[in-house]
Amino acid sequence: MSPAATSSSHPTEGDRSPVVYATDVTKVYTRGSGPGRVGKLLGRPEPPSVTALDKISVAIDAGEIVGLAGPSGSGKSTLLHLLAGLETPTAGTVQFQDQDLETLSRRERIRLRLEHVGIIFQHFHLVDSLSARANVSLPLVELGMGTRKRRERSEALLTRVGLEDRISHRPGELSGGEQQRVAIARALATDPTLIIADEPTGELDTETGQRVLEEFKRIATDRAVVLASHDQPTLEIADRIVQLRDGTRVEATQADT
Amino acid sequence: MQLSILGVAAIIALLVVVTGLGLGLATGTTVYDDDIDYWVVPEDSGSSSPLLATDNPRFGSVHDSTEQFRTEEVTFATPVLSQILQLEADGETEFILVVGVINEPGLDAVTGVTTDGLSDGDPYYADGSYDGPWTGDVVLSQSASNLLEAGSGTQLTVAGNESFTVTGVDDGSDTVGNVPVAVMQLSELQRLTGAAEHDQADQFIVGTNSPAVETTLKDRYPQSEVLTRGELTTNEAMDSELPLALAVTAFIIAISVGTLFVLTTNGLEVVADQRQLATLAAIGISTRSQLVLVGVQTMVVTGIGGFLGAVAGMGGIWAVNTGAMELLTTEPIALSESWFLLYGGGVGLLIGVLSLPYLLVLARRVSGGVP
Repeated sequence: MSPAATSSSHPTEGDRSPVVYATDVTKVYTRGSGPGRVGKLLGRPEPPSVTALDKISVAIDAGEIVGLAGPSGSGKSTLLHLLAGLETPTAGTVQFQDQDLETLSRRERIRLRLEHVGIIFQHFHLVDSLSARANVSLPLVELGMGTRKRRERSEALLTRVGLEDRISHRPGELSGGEQQRVAIARALATDPTLIIADEPTGELDTETGQRVLEEFKRIATDRAVVLASHDQPTLEIADRIVQLRDGTRVEATQADT
Repeated sequence: MQLSILGVAAIIALLVVVTGLGLGLATGTTVYDDDIDYWVVPEDSGSSSPLLATDNPRFGSVHDSTEQFRTEEVTFATPVLSQILQLEADGETEFILVVGVINEPGLDAVTGVTTDGLSDGDPYYADGSYDGPWTGDVVLSQSASNLLEAGSGTQLTVAGNESFTVTGVDDGSDTVGNVPVAVMQLSELQRLTGAAEHDQADQFIVGTNSPAVETTLKDRYPQSEVLTRGELTTNEAMDSELPLALAVTAFIIAISVGTLFVLTTNGLEVVADQRQLATLAAIGISTRSQLVLVGVQTMVVTGIGGFLGAVAGMGGIWAVNTGAMELLTTEPIALSESWFLLYGGGVGLLIGVLSLPYLLVLARRVSGGVP
């Protein structure tokens, strides 16, 4: 286990400065709302809560692939969401390039994701009414890029993931693997520093999954990649695996060493 | 989205049909002729429908008065007497609005029916003796012709008098709504209705190119109303309370129901799109951009719905008119105007604008989080 990865102080991995790091993050979900003052007076109980993550610390450097492993309900997805700024921790901090995500407003977090974070979902989450090219172009529109440049960049990215002949197809006209590659192209559109992938091969057959993983290896050369999976072949591409169970970190392994 | 478009379209279609019916009602009793510049009507008469207001006060000595109107500035002038009478032709008996006028050059049509078939002047009047040549000329509107199954040359019995002949049928007649009309010589109608005794008529119509004539008319009939074409139209609209109320009610209901419908259906869609909105937020699309998307989608839906509804509404008006003419009337009862398309689209967009605040607040609330 890397001492830096579990430290509650500033976490680093060797000489590299981490792109994102979580320090002692805890995430507790509460079901329903609290009883309120009157409810408390009436003896109404506090709603049940679930601790999804309990004091997890992890740092991810540029150029490495970190795998989050563990069974369902272990907290993999929650940790991904915290690292991407989709949720805020109940306790602890998540720092993205030395910027505490909790101090950012909702608008600033969305902007940070646009410029620095690419997210790939298990169920792709493409916009059904848009073509593959338009889906990839979406973040570029938000960035204010011109039409011609957008078109060139999205077509180049789709070509990079092997979909040059599927550019005008809508998600409904693409296979699962093709949709996932469109999602990868979309995640790369703004050239992010961090790629977050939640079960990226969960909906794909073995062969298609392998192609997607090869793509992950290619894109990880100059950026940080965090992928959550309970599929062993998927985790094998990771440089490091963070094993989670019941919201706690149980071990860390160097997959490639 | 399709449900929202269909819902808005249905509401706008209803609005257009009701508006068309309202306008049909408003103009159904309207006497309008582009060539006529002034109407002189007794003050107590309903200016909205002077020709049908047969129980109202009448002018007397109308032939003499008309002669006094005639100046160089006056193109034509004629008293108008109207009465609903029973007409019979070849066994077909119908009640028809009969209008009596003094025909003269310049007076092309009365109540939308051409006066071409009438002899000039009013020969039977004969300076008040009512013993001049009886012409028996009658011009029928197309609807009257259809009702009586009468054409040019058909012998007519008017109020028991058998000496009338159809001298023309105005097949392009822009008639008084769905009321069948027959136009004849004033003095002959006066004789049939008893109005000859005091040379009575309901109103005067005067054609002129000089605004100064209005003052002359007002001076001559201080107890009467002298209406210009525009005033008559305005009075008509003001007096036609029922059609106006109908149109306004339809508008309010369309706006209310349409807005509630769009709030419901589009609101459900926004909630159903929660995952998509969350995805957009996750990939960095700002809340503002998402709200713009929701807003544009709402306006497009209501705009298209409004336009389609207007088209459907015009189809509905056609259906209503066709059905009414099959079963009830001889003339269309609802008006169909090309500006209904703009009206429908505009009301659709207004519904969109009214729905926007709630939908944007809703979208703002459901946006974000984890897809």
